[in-house]
Amino acid sequence: MIEMFSYPFMQRAFAAGLIIAVLAAISGSFIVLRRYSLLSETLAHVSLVGVSIGLLVGSNPLWMAIVASLIASWMIEYLRSVHHLYSDSILAIFLSGSLALAIIIVSIAGSFNASLFSYLFGSILSVTNEDLVIMAIAGTVGMALLLLFFKELYFIAFDEEVARASGIRVAALNFMLVSVIAVIIALSIRVVGTLLIGALMVIPPVAAIRFGMGFFKTMLLSIALALTSVVIGLTASFFFSLPSGAAIVLCLLLFFIAALVINLP
Amino acid sequence: MKFSPSLFEVRSLTYTVRGNEILKSVNMTVLKGEYCAIIGPNGGGKTTLIRLLMGLEKPTSGTIRLFGVDQQKFKAWHKIGYVPQRSALVDASFPATVREVVAMGRYALRGMFSIESAEDKRIIEESMEQMGVSDLRDRLIGHLSGGQRQRVMIARALASHPEVLIVDEPNTGVDVESQHRFYELLRSLHMTRGISVLFITHDIGVIAEDISKLFFVNQTLLVSQAPQEMVGCESISRLYGNPSHVLTHNH
Repeated sequence: MIEMFSYPFMQRAFAAGLIIAVLAAISGSFIVLRRYSLLSETLAHVSLVGVSIGLLVGSNPLWMAIVASLIASWMIEYLRSVHHLYSDSILAIFLSGSLALAIIIVSIAGSFNASLFSYLFGSILSVTNEDLVIMAIAGTVGMALLLLFFKELYFIAFDEEVARASGIRVAALNFMLVSVIAVIIALSIRVVGTLLIGALMVIPPVAAIRFGMGFFKTMLLSIALALTSVVIGLTASFFFSLPSGAAIVLCLLLFFIAALVINLP
Repeated sequence: MKFSPSLFEVRSLTYTVRGNEILKSVNMTVLKGEYCAIIGPNGGGKTTLIRLLMGLEKPTSGTIRLFGVDQQKFKAWHKIGYVPQRSALVDASFPATVREVVAMGRYALRGMFSIESAEDKRIIEESMEQMGVSDLRDRLIGHLSGGQRQRVMIARALASHPEVLIVDEPNTGVDVESQHRFYELLRSLHMTRGISVLFITHDIGVIAEDISKLFFVNQTLLVSQAPQEMVGCESISRLYGNPSHVLTHNH
C-alpha cells in the first residue's frame, strides 16, 4: 500500500484529490441546501469547453477551464438574479449548450483521444506539477473566501430574505459563491473528471444531512466522507487501473446508500 | 408631552408591477414604543408594504425613512427584527439546530472571519431563554412544531437587539392555541423590553383593544387609527367589501 506513494504521480494525485475533496464538500454543502445542486454539473460541462479550447490552441486546459467556468457562473447568476429566469432552466440550457460547444471545438481540434477521456472521467496520471501549483493557489483563495463568509453563506442558504433584510450583501455573496464553485470545479477535472465532479460536491452533504445534525457537524461529516472517498477511490484507481473519478464516485455512492440505510425513517 | 421619534415614515408610496398598482399613495408613520397592526384582506398588499419597508422591493415612487434616515442610506438593519410570513415553514431535514438559527441574529453585527464572542453567546442564550426555546437548543429546526419554530424565529430576531419587531402573518401554519400564546408573547416583549411591534394579520379577531395603531391596507392605506375609534366598523366593511365587525380581545 505504502509503495504507491513512492510514485511522484500518486503523490500529486493525492495532494490534488485532498485539496479538491475539502473544497468540494464545503462549497457543495451550500449549493445542496439552496436546491442548486445542478450548478456543479452545469459548470463541469462548461469547463469542458475550456478544456477543448486548451486542447485546440495548445495551452494548459486547466487555465482555460477556470476562465470558461467563471464566465459561465457569472452569466448564470446574472440571468437568475437580474432576469429572474428559473434556475433549473438556465442550468439546463448552459449544460447542454456548453456540451454541444465543447464537442464542436474538440472535433475541430481533432482531439477525441485518451487526453480528452482523462478530462471526462479523471486520471491519476494526469496531474502535473503546474496543475498542483494552480490548485494550491486557487484552492487557498477559494478556501479563504468560503471561510471568510462562512456564516453569511449559511444564513443565505437558510433564509435568503431575512439575510438580505438584516443587511447582509446577498447579491455580492451569491456571485462570490458561484465564482468559487466555478474555480473548484475547473480545478477538479484532472482528478475527478468533468462528468463526475458534480457527485463529489453533492453526495457528501446529501449523505451527511441524513444524520440529522446541525450545520457545522453536517459539514464536518461531509468533508470526512469526501476525503475518505478520494483516498479509497485513488487507491483503487492505482491498484485496479480504474479511472480515478469513477472510483471516487462509486465510493461516494456506497457511503450515500449506507447513510440511507442507517437513517431509515 | 414626551416626544417619540419615528421608526418608519412612509410618504406617497406607490408600488407598481407591470402596470398593476399593488400599493398606491400610502402614507404611514410608526413611532418608537408603539404596538401596531396592519390588517387587510389577502392580496391587499400588506406583505408588499413590509417588504418595501425592509428594502426587499424598490418603490415605484414615494419615500421611506427608517429611524429618521432615508432608506437608501440606512445601515442599522439590526435595529429591525424581521420575521417573514413563511418563516414557520422550514424544510424538515435542513441541518440547522435551534441554537444555530438563533445565532444567525448576531451574524450581521459580527465582523468577517470572527468567532462568537462571550457577549454573542450571552445574548443568544438570553434570546432563547426569553422565548422559552432553550430546552430545544440541539433540536433541528425542521423537527419542531409550527408554534415552536415561530418562537425560534422571534428569538433569532431578538438576538440582534432590535428596537422594533416586524412580524408578517404569525398565524401561518400554527394552531389556534399557539396563536394566542404567540400574541401574548409579542405583547409581553413590547411591555417588558419596550420593543416596538408592527405585525401583519388578515385575521381581525386577534386585534387587541390596547393596540396603538391599526393600519388598514387594501391597495392603499385606507385608515390608520386606534381600534376603539372604529365606530360602526365602516372602515372594515370598506376594506373587506362586506359587513364585518371587529372582535377585540385583551391579552
